Amino acid sequence: MAQPSVSIAKKKQMPSLLEFLYKHGTLLAILVVIAYFGITLDRFFTYENFSDILRSISIVTLVAIGITFSLIVDGFDLSVGSTVSLATIASAAALVLYRQEILVTLLVPLLLGIAVGLLNSLLIVKLKLPDLLATLATMYAINGVQLTYTKGFSIYNDMPLPDGGTAPGKFIPSFLFIGQGEVLGIPFSVLLMLVVVIATHLFLTYTKPGRLFYMTGENREAARLSGIPVNRYRTYAYVISGFFAALGGIVLASRIGTGQVSAGASFLMDGVAAAYIGFSVFGAGKPNVIGTLFGSILMGVLLNGLTMMNVPYYAQDIIKGAILVGALALSHMQKK
Amino acid sequence: MNGLYMNNIYKSFGTVNVLNGVNFDVRQGEVHALLGMNGAGKSTLMKILAGVLSPDNGTIAIDGKEYRFSSPADAKKAGIGLVVQEVDTALFPSLSVYENIAADEIVATKQKPILSWKQQKQRAAELLRRVGLSISLNKLIRECTLHEKQLIVLAKVLSSSARYIILDEPTAALSETETKRLFAIISDLKTQGVSFIYISHKLKEVKEICDRVTILRDGNVVHHGDVSALSLEEMIHYMVGRPYTTVQKEARAYSEDVLFKVKQLHIAKTNTTVDLQIHKGEIAGIAGLVGAGKTELAESLISHTKTAGEWWIDGKRYTFSSPKEAIAAGICLIPEERRKQGLFLDETVRTNLTVRLLSSLTKWQWVLRKKETQTAQQLVEALQIHPPFPQAAVKQLSGGNQQKVVIGKWLKTDARVFIFDEPTKGIDVNAKQEVFSIIRSLADEGKAVLYLTSEFQELLDIADTIYIMVDGQLVKRVSARDITYEQLIYYCSGGDLDGATVRFDRQEKANAVSS
Repeated sequence: MAQPSVSIAKKKQMPSLLEFLYKHGTLLAILVVIAYFGITLDRFFTYENFSDILRSISIVTLVAIGITFSLIVDGFDLSVGSTVSLATIASAAALVLYRQEILVTLLVPLLLGIAVGLLNSLLIVKLKLPDLLATLATMYAINGVQLTYTKGFSIYNDMPLPDGGTAPGKFIPSFLFIGQGEVLGIPFSVLLMLVVVIATHLFLTYTKPGRLFYMTGENREAARLSGIPVNRYRTYAYVISGFFAALGGIVLASRIGTGQVSAGASFLMDGVAAAYIGFSVFGAGKPNVIGTLFGSILMGVLLNGLTMMNVPYYAQDIIKGAILVGALALSHMQKK
Repeated sequence: MNGLYMNNIYKSFGTVNVLNGVNFDVRQGEVHALLGMNGAGKSTLMKILAGVLSPDNGTIAIDGKEYRFSSPADAKKAGIGLVVQEVDTALFPSLSVYENIAADEIVATKQKPILSWKQQKQRAAELLRRVGLSISLNKLIRECTLHEKQLIVLAKVLSSSARYIILDEPTAALSETETKRLFAIISDLKTQGVSFIYISHKLKEVKEICDRVTILRDGNVVHHGDVSALSLEEMIHYMVGRPYTTVQKEARAYSEDVLFKVKQLHIAKTNTTVDLQIHKGEIAGIAGLVGAGKTELAESLISHTKTAGEWWIDGKRYTFSSPKEAIAAGICLIPEERRKQGLFLDETVRTNLTVRLLSSLTKWQWVLRKKETQTAQQLVEALQIHPPFPQAAVKQLSGGNQQKVVIGKWLKTDARVFIFDEPTKGIDVNAKQEVFSIIRSLADEGKAVLYLTSEFQELLDIADTIYIMVDGQLVKRVSARDITYEQLIYYCSGGDLDGATVRFDRQEKANAVSS
């Protein structure tokens, strides 16, 4: 399928094979990976498996969209994984330990995510610390907070309490619907992801603030001299990043039905890889939500297939690392 | 035969001949000035002497021995020292003074990989004494003042037993007392047999410290001889060559109303205070050498860097703490570093042009793409941007067209004060004329225009009034019709500011043309 377009493109310009691979490499890779797993694995092409892949993709995508925002303003947010964990614990605690209803259960983790974002922007925008180091620090601190709060134990239905009794609340159905429910046969979390993808895509591509986000990241000095309040936009970006990480944490808690400590750690790497793979999709050359979606689809399909092939999760990290290196190399090649 | 001789040096880059058979000689124990306008070939000649470039033809002889340098290390061995203008590039900020002085020796030495601290310190102390600097040897470089750093570089150069030292604009960032101290040190080293090649635009200082002078113009030596036999005016005549003839421009009329004024504007970067005012429809120029503080002033006027003071626009008083506020009040800056400060290179021409207009092109924050494209198209046509498509990538435009985009983004805003910082840098002649006509039409519309440049001819062409900027201060305000090119250079190089001794007048210039 790819063959004819390559030859057409070749006539126009010499380095067009590379260019074609750059623009459509991710899509091609997704197709190749699906085809390969489909042929080698019996149970790959099943409704259950696909719905499983989509559910796991939905969390990665939410987190990766947050990362995309921080990348757009030329920043970086390493703390998203910890924020996912924090949100997971927070919603589980609200349900199980404090018997809260759905509203509070959703509100508390989201507000915590926003608070992490504000903390990050305080460090990066106000105190002018380097983004990588500042968010590395918050990543550890936030992880410590959720571990300290739970003393290292997961939160689950009917868990025993230190005073001898059992936990008063439980995961309520309306909360579990987020991660486990279906609408017309489609997982609710996938619908949520699609709504978020479309909304953020439209926001970033077609609205004034969306454009100012990009301008802030592309050339901060020019943006400042054009009268754009660059620090305000950078603050927004970290807050949005924290918010979406928390949303991802809620979906995660709902999907597994427990509040597992440090459950979000792996989403940092997956999200970063998805966002960077997204740079190249359709030749955008910059962080973008649609690209991020395809990036996380690639990651999700790949990891699912590897799991089914019984590749242990620690070996999967090697492949994740290699993919991130590849995506980074591609995005740097494009810049030159 | 003592002394340094560069004979018949030729150098060309591609088809451009930069040096055409230059002869340059420096005697032992003298300070020799090397003068010329930008592009005359001074830096190329000095790069050849320092071993950075090799000449196409010609010879270098030092104290009777002929050399062919293939690297800066060769030149260093032969006794050439270089004190660069940006001294920070020659020092390690987190090492101490003595470690910096010893650095070269440590790198060069092969037998003794470990030098004792004591030896290093002794040697450094001795060298610092020679350059007349008394500071703690353990002081870190990053805590030193610029003047101290300069002397440390000089000490470092002396440590490699340099006998011919190139000083590139050594006083550009020094205060008057520091300059005096530097001169005393130079005189002292001179008596010890060290020679200096002194490159500077500050002609008054050249007169003060230099013994002999070589003046380059377009890659040729146009004069060499004793400094004492030459007046400042003569130096300028040699440097400029052909007298510059101004096209007698029509006197542009501008309103009597002051549109823009700053009072006691304190610029943190240069630590100076300026006052200036521009009338409605006036094009005010700021003339200053490179490093005079023009960009610092421009960035302060829009409050991009730390600035205190009062701004007055149309009789209303403001204080600003960010460019956003200054822009809201009607000031805009077309910055010097076009690509770094003025453009969103990965975006289209359209996006760059409409950045300030988005509020009027959106409905509920939604950008109305059609309206935006129309607006951009109008600007592209009005400014004759090529290629004439708003959706073209701004990266692919020529420098001149990029500059038009940077200016264009302000044309439809309600900006009333336009600040242009070196707007013709790196753009071709045609684009320059186009930029000029945009600026003139802005003034004709009643805006206030400030034009900062070190290209003095441009100021004579476009400005109505000219402020002279020296060392961060506005020292003089003149009408552009009453001043000549040579006078501008004279003032900007630190020439007499009272104006009493200036002997350039139009009469003399007419003579020069006829001769």
